Amino acid sequence: MSPDLLTALIVGAGLFGIGLYGALSQTNLVMIMMGVELILAGALVNLVAFWRFLHPESYAGQMFVLIVMTVMAVEMAVGFGVAIARFRARGSVEMEEARELKG
Amino acid sequence: MAVITLQTFFIALFGIAALWFGVVVFRTSSMMRSALALLFSQTALGAMFLAMQAEFLGVLQIMMMATEMSIMAIFMVMFMMDPGGLGEMDMTHQKRLSIAAGVIGALAVSGVALFAHWGPTATVAPAAAEQIRGLGTELLGRSMIIFETAGVTILTAMIAATAVAMPVLQRKKTS
Amino acid sequence: MRIAVVLGFLFAGAYLVAVLEARLATGRLRLAAPGWAAMALLGRESVVPRQPDRLFFETAPALLLIAALLAAAVLPLAPGLFITNLATGALFVNAALAYVLVALLMAGWGPDGAYALIGGWRFLGQLIAYSMLIVMPITAVAMRAESLLTTDIVASQTGLWNILYQPLGFVLFFIAAMGVAFLPPFDLPSAEGELAGGVTSEYTGVRLAVFRLGRLVLVITLSAATVVFYLGGWLGPVLPPWAWSAVKILAVSATMLLIGHYLPRIREAHLLAWCWKLGIPLALLNIFIVGVMVLVWP
Repeated sequence: MSPDLLTALIVGAGLFGIGLYGALSQTNLVMIMMGVELILAGALVNLVAFWRFLHPESYAGQMFVLIVMTVMAVEMAVGFGVAIARFRARGSVEMEEARELKG
Repeated sequence: MAVITLQTFFIALFGIAALWFGVVVFRTSSMMRSALALLFSQTALGAMFLAMQAEFLGVLQIMMMATEMSIMAIFMVMFMMDPGGLGEMDMTHQKRLSIAAGVIGALAVSGVALFAHWGPTATVAPAAAEQIRGLGTELLGRSMIIFETAGVTILTAMIAATAVAMPVLQRKKTS
Repeated sequence: MRIAVVLGFLFAGAYLVAVLEARLATGRLRLAAPGWAAMALLGRESVVPRQPDRLFFETAPALLLIAALLAAAVLPLAPGLFITNLATGALFVNAALAYVLVALLMAGWGPDGAYALIGGWRFLGQLIAYSMLIVMPITAVAMRAESLLTTDIVASQTGLWNILYQPLGFVLFFIAAMGVAFLPPFDLPSAEGELAGGVTSEYTGVRLAVFRLGRLVLVITLSAATVVFYLGGWLGPVLPPWAWSAVKILAVSATMLLIGHYLPRIREAHLLAWCWKLGIPLALLNIFIVGVMVLVWP
């Protein structure tokens, strides 16, 4: 297997790990969203690498990247909408204070 | 036959830059630095796409993330209790668990990447102009319905986010 | 060689824009004024404000200049006279211009000053207003050329320039370009009257010189983009191609500066309202009209 593909996949894995750490460890909603963005970025790298090194003749791979970018934008829009609503209601977006969501 | 080429070098270079900036995101306490570190991480990824000869996707990534992360910056400064990072507040919890999860996750995924049988790898990618044409025909052909769905989803998300974020109107009581 | 010619062209254009700006500000035409001003700035002390975010403070002026130069890199001035001809040229212009925002945000946050901070965040709001009006008209231009290559876009205007083919798109792009370059009446981030210079208020000496240079190059770059996308690039009779490019680019910059000279500064809320309620529907209409026209009368 080619070192290019391996390098790209390991970068993707690294981004996934960093993003997972961020999403789990941060207490602020906005910082958690940054973690999720990093996880999605890892997915992007993998998709581009798969397209380039495994199936460069099929453009469905590139289209998948566009869809993931859309998901990133949607995540931002909805996340900030929730953050603003939460901030209006409670005056903070700290997740430690969101105990009432517990079942 | 493992061949280290200039392409490998650049992929690795930008990849390391992306990882480094990704780490910086959670290590700095200034929110502006954090947001811009995420921006540069994503830009490095865009450069990595360019190194992987996906020119359209690379430029698109570089363009979209500049705006997206700058908007993220203002939200972080608005919603963090200590945006300048001068108050030395600790904004993390369950640190040990998170580090363990992150490391194990990354190692597991890299393990899969290492030991999976990927089959033969392609050596040449289509030219940039051909890629744009191919992607266009893909979007307006076989994958049209998927792409339309994505478009409608983003529109719904925009409307929903605006609706959620709008303040509750105080209706005047009519006597 | 090619790169040196293009860069020389850009900096000469920036100098002329500075001359014109000085003429509008002082009412006197002095060709040497920007040169003296630059020398004065270079000789002056570079003050660093108290408790700056040093990294951002130092990077911002350079990033502004680099973003403007990168955007100019894909714009052809004559057949064969460009720094690089990317297959995604029209998109790349957008991508490079997005970093103008990043530079201004850094310049706003970096020096730890209230005016600078307000200026930086104001530009973020301004981006939300203008960015769609940059992207959508370019989409229509690329639709007519059936290519994202900037040279193809110029070639597609051989019969009829885009300013006549899609005048609506031209007006929107022109206004948005003035917004990107924060020229008056859109100079919200650097408003002299109300923010004492805004993002530039804490910069002095060499850094201010680089910042001003970046802004002037940005004006020239956006004029060049307008010329390439709407005014037929190097096309024109009698004169050699590069001369046509030069004349058109300078004319567009002069028009931008003159328009700004006679208009009052717009309010942020009004800018957003106009751009979103009027500008974006018009841009969509433009895409629709151009789509129909490309089918009927290419």
